Amino acid sequence: MEKQTKSNKRLKTAKELQKVVTEYYHQCTAAKVEGKPVGWMPPMNGAIEIFYAMDLQPVFPENWSPVCAAFGLTPQNFEVSEQMGYSRDLCGYLRNIIGYVNGLMNDKESPFGGLPEPDILLSPGGGCVPVMKIFQAIEKRFPDAKVFFADLPQVPVEDIREHHVAYAICEMRRLIGFLTEVTGHRLDEEKLKNTVALSDRACELWDEIMTFRRYKPVPFSAAEMGIMFVMVTLQGTQTAVDFLTKVRDEVRGKADSGMGVIENEKLRLFWDNIPLWYNMGLFNYFEKFGGVVVAETYSAAWSLRMDPNDPIRSLAMKSLTSYPLVSCVSISKRKEMVLKACRDYAIDGVIFHRNKSCVPITLGQMEIKRELEYQLGIPSVIIDADHMDDRNFSVAQFQTRADAFMEMLLNKKMNS
Amino acid sequence: MTPDSVFPFKEAIRTSEERLSALSESGKKIIGYFCTYTPVEIIHATGLIPVRITGGYGNTDKAYQHVPDFICPYMKRALEKALDGRYDYISGLIQGYTCDAACGMVNIWKDALKLDWVHSIPIPYNDTPESSDYFKAVLDELVQNLSAFGGDFSDSALNGSLNLYHRIRKIQYTLYQQRYQGKSNFTASDLMTIMDAGDVVPPEDYLCLLEDLSKRLPNHRRNQHHRFPVPVLVSGSLIERPEVMDMIESSGGRIVADDLCNGLRQIFPTDGKGETPMDRLIHRTLNRFPCPSRSRATDRGRRLLDILTQSRAKGIIFLIQKFCTPHLADIPILSELLKAKGYPAIVIEMDESWKMEGQVKTRLEGFFEMLGEDRN
Ligand code: SF4
Ligand code: SF4
Repeated sequence: MEKQTKSNKRLKTAKELQKVVTEYYHQCTAAKVEGKPVGWMPPMNGAIEIFYAMDLQPVFPENWSPVCAAFGLTPQNFEVSEQMGYSRDLCGYLRNIIGYVNGLMNDKESPFGGLPEPDILLSPGGGCVPVMKIFQAIEKRFPDAKVFFADLPQVPVEDIREHHVAYAICEMRRLIGFLTEVTGHRLDEEKLKNTVALSDRACELWDEIMTFRRYKPVPFSAAEMGIMFVMVTLQGTQTAVDFLTKVRDEVRGKADSGMGVIENEKLRLFWDNIPLWYNMGLFNYFEKFGGVVVAETYSAAWSLRMDPNDPIRSLAMKSLTSYPLVSCVSISKRKEMVLKACRDYAIDGVIFHRNKSCVPITLGQMEIKRELEYQLGIPSVIIDADHMDDRNFSVAQFQTRADAFMEMLLNKKMNS
Repeated sequence: MTPDSVFPFKEAIRTSEERLSALSESGKKIIGYFCTYTPVEIIHATGLIPVRITGGYGNTDKAYQHVPDFICPYMKRALEKALDGRYDYISGLIQGYTCDAACGMVNIWKDALKLDWVHSIPIPYNDTPESSDYFKAVLDELVQNLSAFGGDFSDSALNGSLNLYHRIRKIQYTLYQQRYQGKSNFTASDLMTIMDAGDVVPPEDYLCLLEDLSKRLPNHRRNQHHRFPVPVLVSGSLIERPEVMDMIESSGGRIVADDLCNGLRQIFPTDGKGETPMDRLIHRTLNRFPCPSRSRATDRGRRLLDILTQSRAKGIIFLIQKFCTPHLADIPILSELLKAKGYPAIVIEMDESWKMEGQVKTRLEGFFEMLGEDRN
């Protein structure tokens, strides 16, 4: 099987996304030129809003990995990190970014002008082990960067208590103090409130966009997951809100006029775990069976609410809940989330991407799988792959499993 | 050393499941834990018995109904044992966020084994006054949950438990120091057996075994496996089969130190400082010889250099559980750092069979030969 061709039913705003992505990376490199402090940080935490409110430039090395995958740079990056002794069994994000910063980054030809060197590193204690190790390796690569050693309780969402929140708040304040000290930039309370209000608005729009996926036929599929780029890199900015508003309008228009991703939608699918960034067209594979991937793990990941009048607490809560919600920290919560999505979006079948590169999201899949069958009678299939490393993905095996699964679903549907 | 002195420890391990099951049937509550960051003293002070979950070696077929093959043998094997009913004696389970595999696994155990009592301890990564305060609140929550589940807790009981574990660790650490000084009576696998018994025997009984051993220690050095064995340090997480240490030593090395989860990392430092018993516990936890999942390779490197000097080891064997992210991710930086100081390293990964194939032995022989030449 060749790489799947891109669907011709993509959102128009997908084109706009390319502009947003390009502008964001240009903004990152421009910041460096203009002397605006650049800080590298892990994704999905409340520090991003603090950075924007303090007029600092956040950069997300993890998010750079899908860019490398899209531009076909991953094999070169892997080669560098493997040469350095990083095992092929480690998360692909880790191998890719460590390879990049120690290899291609020094090359002027990187896409979007490459990543600007960090002045600040927000090195996490918390999240998953690979993300901590990514930053520790980056610390070594950029010894002149000022490092903030962040700390965050790794606690299941359902077990969060006041002392966890209090510590996360205390860490937020410590971060603000650190940033003020090393950059001289001060945090303006009003600006922070505005940033958090924008962030909240983005979440609200996100939720609204997702509700249109309940429509039959569904107006957009998982192939559009690139839109979450703004949730990862631009949360708390007007750019994100403007972009998501356009997406919402387009999706609403399509939903109202009954325009679906495919003409004859027969099967609605859910995708669990990270997409195969090097083969996003895979989501279109199911079209020939009338199947469309309607929802995925990340659909609910930004379903947060933030209170602009209590910005620090809101951001602390965001940091505490974002990663656990999509990983094995809260398997029962994740189970709840997936089951809810399957009900909300009228899902016929679930595809579990058993992701060699991500233990935290892969663990718990079997528990969710059983519960889906038991509680909702929804069948599922396991696809062995890797979100970064195509050497861990067999197209032939995928086709065999996907075909058998889709045929079974079609039969089930016909007989019901 | 006569095997007799190690025999009681071997027996204690061999019969542990039976004895723990009997204890559980008699109404005692046993709490399983995965990671040595677990504050066993608190469990003990509440009148419960802490027992470390181990994996051993063998099949992992049932575990694959729940987990992918690409997680560490420890977690797969431990789950397999649990699914075989071999942990039916535990009433509850605790984990500190050691690594992603351990975190997910606690959730899976809870689900698959229908465990009523499962508790996570989100240990801080920093060591600041604020993180100590936060950690205190985390431990207070643990005390509350354990008390509601098990028994009464008091500061004086905690003090007693801290003293008990301190005595245990002191004897264990003495055995380690004797090994650093070349005065050990034990092979590395025997020392590991002595250590491992502490994970599955109630601490009072284990202390008796250790004290008995100390009294009977003869004043002579152990027999060497090899004429000119090369002293090395073994670093990794858990070694689930002590015989692996014999295999290493029979390839031309002498293990004089370790940085293992079922080794130095669970005994050093032997105690903490603080005004209250809880402060003492917190101080020890935050100043522990660190695990890679909670520290930086550069920090570990400095500490390893210290042990290498103390033990006069010439090189390092990274003996890794396959797919163990924290350890694998540290190896490049750690190896570079140690190499720069004149300590070569070799990486060996082991699967759930814990069998050392001929090819690995050949690599080890080559490594020892190289180290031996370096020495001359
Ligand atoms: S969450 Fe998964 S994909 Fe992301 S860094 Fe961690 S292991 Fe890698
Ligand atoms: S630290 Fe390594 S060996 Fe220990 S549980 Fe985690 S992955 Fe397994």
